[in-house]
Amino acid sequence: MNTIVGTGVKSVSDYTASDVVKALLQVLPEHCVLSRLEDTRPYECDGLSLYRSLPMAVVLPETEKQVQDVLIACRRLGVPVVARGAGTGLSGGAMPHAQGVLLGLAKFNKIKHIDRDAAIAIVEPGVRNLAVSEAAAPFGLYYAPDPSSQIACTIGGNVAENSGGVHCLKYGLTVHNVLKVRMITIDGEIVELGSMAPDSPGPDLLSVFIGSEGMLGVVTEVTLKLTPKPALARVIMASFDDVEKASSAVAEIIAAGIIPAGLEMMDQQATQMVEPFVKAGYDTSAAAILLCESDGTVEEVADEIARMEEVFQRVGATRLQVSESETQRLLFWAGRKNAFPAAGRVSPDYYCMDGTIPRRNLGRVLNAIAEMEKRFNLRCANVFHAGDGNLHPLILFDSNSADEVQRAEDFGAAILELCVEVGGTITGEHGVGMEKINQMCVQFSRDELDSFLRVKRAFDPATLLNPEKVVPTLARCAEYGKMHVHGGALPFADLPRF
Amino acid sequence: MNAPHALQVLRKPLPADFVMQLQNRFGDRFSIAQAVREHHGKDESAYPAMLPDAVVFALTTQEVVAVVTLCNQFQVPLIPYGAGSSLEGHLLAIEGGVSLDVSGMNQIISLDAEDQTVTVQPGLTRKQLNEQIRDSGLFFPIDPGADASLGGMASTRASGTNAVRYGTMRENVVSLTVVTAQGKVIRTSRRARKSSAGYDLTRLFVGSEGTLGVITEVTVKLYPQPEAVSAAVCNFQTVNDAVQCVISAIQMGVPLARVELMDKAAVHASNKYSKLTLQETPLLLFEFHGSESSVKEQAELVQELARENGGMDFEWADRTEDRNRLWTARHNAYFAGLQLRPGCRSNTTDVCVPISRLAECVNATTSELEKASFPSTIVGHVGDGNFHVLMLLDPNNPAEWDESERINHNIVRRAIEMDGTCTGEHGVGLHKMQFLDQEHGEDALSLMRMIKTSFDPNNILNPGKIISLDLAG
Repeated sequence: MNTIVGTGVKSVSDYTASDVVKALLQVLPEHCVLSRLEDTRPYECDGLSLYRSLPMAVVLPETEKQVQDVLIACRRLGVPVVARGAGTGLSGGAMPHAQGVLLGLAKFNKIKHIDRDAAIAIVEPGVRNLAVSEAAAPFGLYYAPDPSSQIACTIGGNVAENSGGVHCLKYGLTVHNVLKVRMITIDGEIVELGSMAPDSPGPDLLSVFIGSEGMLGVVTEVTLKLTPKPALARVIMASFDDVEKASSAVAEIIAAGIIPAGLEMMDQQATQMVEPFVKAGYDTSAAAILLCESDGTVEEVADEIARMEEVFQRVGATRLQVSESETQRLLFWAGRKNAFPAAGRVSPDYYCMDGTIPRRNLGRVLNAIAEMEKRFNLRCANVFHAGDGNLHPLILFDSNSADEVQRAEDFGAAILELCVEVGGTITGEHGVGMEKINQMCVQFSRDELDSFLRVKRAFDPATLLNPEKVVPTLARCAEYGKMHVHGGALPFADLPRF
Repeated sequence: MNAPHALQVLRKPLPADFVMQLQNRFGDRFSIAQAVREHHGKDESAYPAMLPDAVVFALTTQEVVAVVTLCNQFQVPLIPYGAGSSLEGHLLAIEGGVSLDVSGMNQIISLDAEDQTVTVQPGLTRKQLNEQIRDSGLFFPIDPGADASLGGMASTRASGTNAVRYGTMRENVVSLTVVTAQGKVIRTSRRARKSSAGYDLTRLFVGSEGTLGVITEVTVKLYPQPEAVSAAVCNFQTVNDAVQCVISAIQMGVPLARVELMDKAAVHASNKYSKLTLQETPLLLFEFHGSESSVKEQAELVQELARENGGMDFEWADRTEDRNRLWTARHNAYFAGLQLRPGCRSNTTDVCVPISRLAECVNATTSELEKASFPSTIVGHVGDGNFHVLMLLDPNNPAEWDESERINHNIVRRAIEMDGTCTGEHGVGLHKMQFLDQEHGEDALSLMRMIKTSFDPNNILNPGKIISLDLAG
């Protein structure tokens, strides 16, 4: 039989916290090891604060050699390791393991080299996303992927999650903008994946590594592709009196052969939430707005903006406004990028989903979400990367009410399962982490999950790197199957129940 | 060592029980005829044929499952076969076994015009695909020259003349259906445009050259046919000038759809072979895609850059038939080159370097080739930093083979030292295995080996390709 069952970490640990700290102190200076409760508390969760756990120790190494030594020490003791960048992840990928070590890479914050001619930047993993573009600006270059958290999130975290952003429709995700990753395996081997050339021979381990959520190795250096800054960028804000029309406008733009630099949608709940906070100038009377950007040379932009306007008018836009200055363009985007903080202002808690669907089902899924608002009796604001079909429904709830928490979780799960049903995926860019591990059983078959485990086994046979996340064990899927019968069919019906 | 020497590998005869089961299931579509085996034992590389022991023609995913399952059970090597147009010995049955021909699986399964994707069976060729979807207003851009099958293109991570604009198969395969070595059918991804759920199995299988699984369905991205297309030829005094012009255009962010370099010898060969009247100096072939005004603007900008780098005036090919003649000539450059020296065979290189090092790399290569005892041509997808040298060799003169291999090694070493790669698009196959250690390092190779053994513990899938499992080898 070829099925692989995740081995997991030893459930009863044969080491104590003090064993672990002692081993770490042998390879690290004292100030790099944190083990007191008040020191480790800030690391108990990432951006998904619903899940928390305290690690046995937090280490903040300063050199690649120290990272290597930490991994070797943990491998020897059989201690799980969870890597962390800025902790802005939204799926619990950096949540510590209670029996493990949290490996913070914050001190790896140097931009080592920017080469204008080759249009690349070599950076350490703890460098902030936006810092790369700032450093490249004098050369007329920038780093294209721009997750909304770009002022805080790190390149190492972007690599782990394969982050996107509002401009990835045209410029691609992290995987399209990274040339090379230097990483250390749990065995302490330093490996470089990828190459400076556009393609490197053999299995594409770089792509496998990007988005692997810290389960295959720890990044110590990343070579990024930089993009020439366009001469001009302008964004159209298009208003629609109906979400369905806005959705078909998205399809029509793409069908017209236009690839906008960004194509984002916000529904009325979202614009009304954001506008008082950011004052972006959004049309809060519209049922939905689209932000559609064109970039390139002056003539290209003029030409493309005219074509975009023509499409929007044809589909029935009620109002069109084109940014008249760089300041106004940035303000239009600031509203979109601040949707999450704005949600935090109007609701005690919010839960952000990340399902991605084939674009043509946008209207159908949005209508279904509106129905679910009634069913679960919770409000849900929609902001999303419409061009990619990547939804970010924000479910607003109050964590002081256990009942609301439960309804929010059920609401989220229902959205994700709907995404899979229409041919999509449970996560477009935030990763699986802890949060969506159950839905993995819905999206993937047992044979597909087995293939994931085969990859994992090749890199980390003892499953010490970020264990118990991303790829569910069969036991977990069976358990989940008991609770959530999907579309009338029990997932993994052939499995023995545990 | 390189071609044309045959490899000495132990071959085991097929077990009788295995043969009987395949015969029963596939009837006429199972063959051990010499002619059929010969056809499946070679590709476009210079390697001598190495025949499989049998050929099976599969028509469905379920039939592929049946063959893979039997091969795994009897531990018989299995090599997927599409159009047979690969260049590096990918298809050669060095350990015998079964060649699994999927060329009969050549249907479009579903065209999703709104989402701009199409799902096809692996044997469909890129030209067949484009003919069949023409009415949708969409097209599939990747164009490796040969009329390769989509399955083969995914397996070798093919690219081609317009990768500079549209990317390679790495960027354009959305999802694959794959039969694993265990005979399980998996889908590597959904049709959504992006996903961060689980490891990126799609890109693991793309470029794995049949060593990790057998592809039975391919979903690729399609693009709207551009509103306006124009092509131009620009002659230069030297290869270096031409390359400098391309570097400037890329650095300015001009979205070139295609930019191809041909050296003087390649132009001469194409004039003779394709009956053209191009001026015989190094030249660039450009193609611009976009709206009327953006095509015009791009072309003006590039003409300006060409002049600054000593280029002559553009010669335009605006009519579709002129453009097609030009690109057909470029695609036939390989065969045109061979005609320069009747009866010759070629040793082909495929290095790719960062664009900032391209001029340096091409110059060093050119001066080395000038001293060689045989003729050669250079053509290149210069927008990607990728170029090919065709060394035209007398098959009866082993000294020429050895000399060409020395030059090949130097070219690859130089490319790797410049942070480039030994193969930009042809894949590893047999020919490039020798360079992988130098390029990736032993630790990365050992990870690749572990991936291989983890997916295919019995080593039945295209054994002996890409990486050697034998540590001593």
